[in-house]
Amino acid sequence: MIRIEHLKKSYQDVTPLKDVSVEIHDGDVISVIGPSGTGKSTLLRCINQLEKPTEGRIWLDDMEITDPKTDINKVRQKMGMVFQSFNLFDHKTVIENVMLAPVDFLGKSRQQAYDRGMELLKKVGLSEKALNYPDQLSGGQKQRVAIARALAMDPDVILLDEPTSALDPTMVGEVQSAIRDLAQTGKTMLIVTHEMHFAKSICNRVFFMDEGKIYEDGSPEQIFDNPKGENTRRFIHRLKVLELDINSRDYNFLSVVGEISAYCSRNQIAPKMAKHITLMFEEVMRILVSGMNDLSINTVCEYSEQSEVAELAFSYNGPRFDITSTEDDLGLSILKGLTEKISYEWLESSEYPNLIKLTIGR
Amino acid sequence: MKKKTIGKSTILFLLAAVLVGILIVLKESVICTASEQNDHVIDSLSDLNGKRIGVQTGTSFDASVREKMPEAHLEYYNGKADLLAALIGKKIDAFIVDEAVAQILMRESKYVVYLPEYLDSYDFAPIFPKTRDGEQLRDQFNAFLEHLPEETLEELSVKWFSENEADKTMPDISRLEAKKGVLKLATESGYAPFEYMRDGKVVGYDIELAAMFCEYSGYGLDIIDMNFDGILPAIQTSKCDFALAGISITPERAESVLFSKPNFSGGTVAMILKENAEYNDSFWDSISESFNKTFIRENRWQLFQKGILTTLLITIFAVLFGTALGFVVFMSCRNGNPVANIVTQFFMWLIQGMPMVVLLMILFYVIFGSIAINGVLVAIIGFTLTFGASVFGLLKTGVGAVGIGQYEGAYALGYSERQTFYKIILPQAMPFVLPAYKGEIVSLIKSTSIVGYIAVQDLTKIGDIVRGRTYEAFFPLIAITVIYFALETLVGFGVGRISVNINPKRRKESEILKGIKH
Repeated sequence: MIRIEHLKKSYQDVTPLKDVSVEIHDGDVISVIGPSGTGKSTLLRCINQLEKPTEGRIWLDDMEITDPKTDINKVRQKMGMVFQSFNLFDHKTVIENVMLAPVDFLGKSRQQAYDRGMELLKKVGLSEKALNYPDQLSGGQKQRVAIARALAMDPDVILLDEPTSALDPTMVGEVQSAIRDLAQTGKTMLIVTHEMHFAKSICNRVFFMDEGKIYEDGSPEQIFDNPKGENTRRFIHRLKVLELDINSRDYNFLSVVGEISAYCSRNQIAPKMAKHITLMFEEVMRILVSGMNDLSINTVCEYSEQSEVAELAFSYNGPRFDITSTEDDLGLSILKGLTEKISYEWLESSEYPNLIKLTIGR
Repeated sequence: MKKKTIGKSTILFLLAAVLVGILIVLKESVICTASEQNDHVIDSLSDLNGKRIGVQTGTSFDASVREKMPEAHLEYYNGKADLLAALIGKKIDAFIVDEAVAQILMRESKYVVYLPEYLDSYDFAPIFPKTRDGEQLRDQFNAFLEHLPEETLEELSVKWFSENEADKTMPDISRLEAKKGVLKLATESGYAPFEYMRDGKVVGYDIELAAMFCEYSGYGLDIIDMNFDGILPAIQTSKCDFALAGISITPERAESVLFSKPNFSGGTVAMILKENAEYNDSFWDSISESFNKTFIRENRWQLFQKGILTTLLITIFAVLFGTALGFVVFMSCRNGNPVANIVTQFFMWLIQGMPMVVLLMILFYVIFGSIAINGVLVAIIGFTLTFGASVFGLLKTGVGAVGIGQYEGAYALGYSERQTFYKIILPQAMPFVLPAYKGEIVSLIKSTSIVGYIAVQDLTKIGDIVRGRTYEAFFPLIAITVIYFALETLVGFGVGRISVNINPKRRKESEILKGIKH
């Protein structure tokens, strides 16, 4: 239904979309997720040409939207859009907001538009507010009106750009349930959202966007439960990652510890956990430095905001050296006291064949 | 709504009360200061050296004062009514006028007298443009003066300088046969008995002489009444063919215009306060006397009526055209067209930075200098430009106050740029724009008061003309102020009604759901 080929959008100093090619099928309900600044909204806005793409082409069925000869206003009439900031017309009542475009573009009589409008307002639970002005509504009510307004044009596809991001937490639910109802009607939808659970519960397809492209495209089960890409995994589990390379026995211990504590406070890791991470790093390094001559270590610390679990991984070169079987009993007992799990692996062909993983729980 | 009307009329009543209060205070203060005892008696011109001497701006009397009384402090006033008020209010010790005027002033005001000694003698003569046509006309005028019997001029001055207004008949200038075309005569009707307004017409010694000349030479006559300051430019740019306005011959003026032979010779005198004048008028008597002089005598209310119409005409057309102009310019600049924006910016800078008087003078004497164009039309053009600039600014602010989300919401539904602007943006901008728009109209009405400079007789100019004739300093001013207030209230009320009507949020339910069964 919508086909996008090599879409690129760049501004003077940033390029949120580098290269996006994807096909959207009739009836797809797609959640677009990803870290902020990765072009999710830009993708949506390019589809209905609120942003002019720098390069690439987009088709709606057989019509090329990006062709300058295409009447974009006609195309937009077939694409509903729901904005983060609602964008209801402040000088019109709720029912007029819903009736306006159908009367102007679908050739409906005012009566027909009114009847259909009231039906849609009833569906989103706002028929009683028909004669109110937008500034008399709460954020959640405004967004539900905006959904009704988009639906009144009976569009082929609805684009929702972070529809709940500007709402009070208490109002998110009412809007989400309106969107959920909409998703069940089988209308093609693209929704940019930060609410993972919500996304998972309504969609049949997920775009994970990162690095200016659709980094991973799959079913909700795949993306949320079994992500393939490293970035996807980190994003889904809300992992915060710190990577350190140590290439000398005389590395600057204080500056490395400083980096770790800065990382901990940046990601609001609990002080106790932060202390444990630092202590563990110290002990492992002490054991490694004492047991090895030519030192080259890569350290990765991952902290999951979701489960509040940290994982430290040390991979290093040299011959097989399993610290769990070292003679340093004191160091080992400290480590064992701090971690939930400690494991060692030997990866024969790797540059850093030794790998130690330590898990710290709550 | 009802409540609002009551509030408005209360305010108006208070306003009127305040104005009457001002009137009383002004009148009383003038009379009080005037009734203080005069310390130094002034008997001759030499007593005036070192004193404050008033002269009218644009006359050549200041030069004679400087020459004869080098110690005197010169003060400049715009008209004889102002000079008289300043003298009575003791802001000056004397002022200089020519003898013929001094006689009239003495008759009109019982507080003043003039010293019989001449400060200077002068010759009045008509002026002509320094062009070939002007020279020809000047020669014709000289020939006419030479041909005129001595007694005729004598009779003319006896008639116009007499006390009896009824004797001062004037030939009907509309009856003149314009065999050789119509001449435009520039004059300033605040200079009785030479030229002044009576029953809505400019009459006087100079005017009758001009009519006699036209009859003799076969011209029609069209009298253009303007501010004295405007007469020289009007002749220099050939806007008018000649001018008779009690213009004395000076070498300086002779550099820029042509003088014919003098048509009147006289002397200037100093007007001073009468000693021990009695100030025993009751307040109400003096008010009713002022009212009578300003409105009733010589049907002067007709002048005011004309002035109001002219002021309204200029205002209404400037508002209509200015709004259209501002809107069109705004629309062509809205989409960021660089050429339109630069041109607009330049003209905004030019028009808004220039004093309105200068803009009008430039339009009248330079841009339309060689075209026979009505001053009212020029005023409408000038004020259309400034009002258009204001409307442009208002629209820019008003439309700028509507958020970007409103555009995006409309585009996303499929509205074109044009439709979005007219259906969504403009209706929301209007409530921002209208209150300031109303203010602009009110200030436009006031700022039209300067059109006297380009020979338009608007309300203010009528006030000046009446003051020049009655020598009433304040009453006509207060009268026109009240009229301006009334006009402004009227216009404000009208625009207020519009803003209620176009505010989309003030609609009734039946309007919103027109034609819908529910």
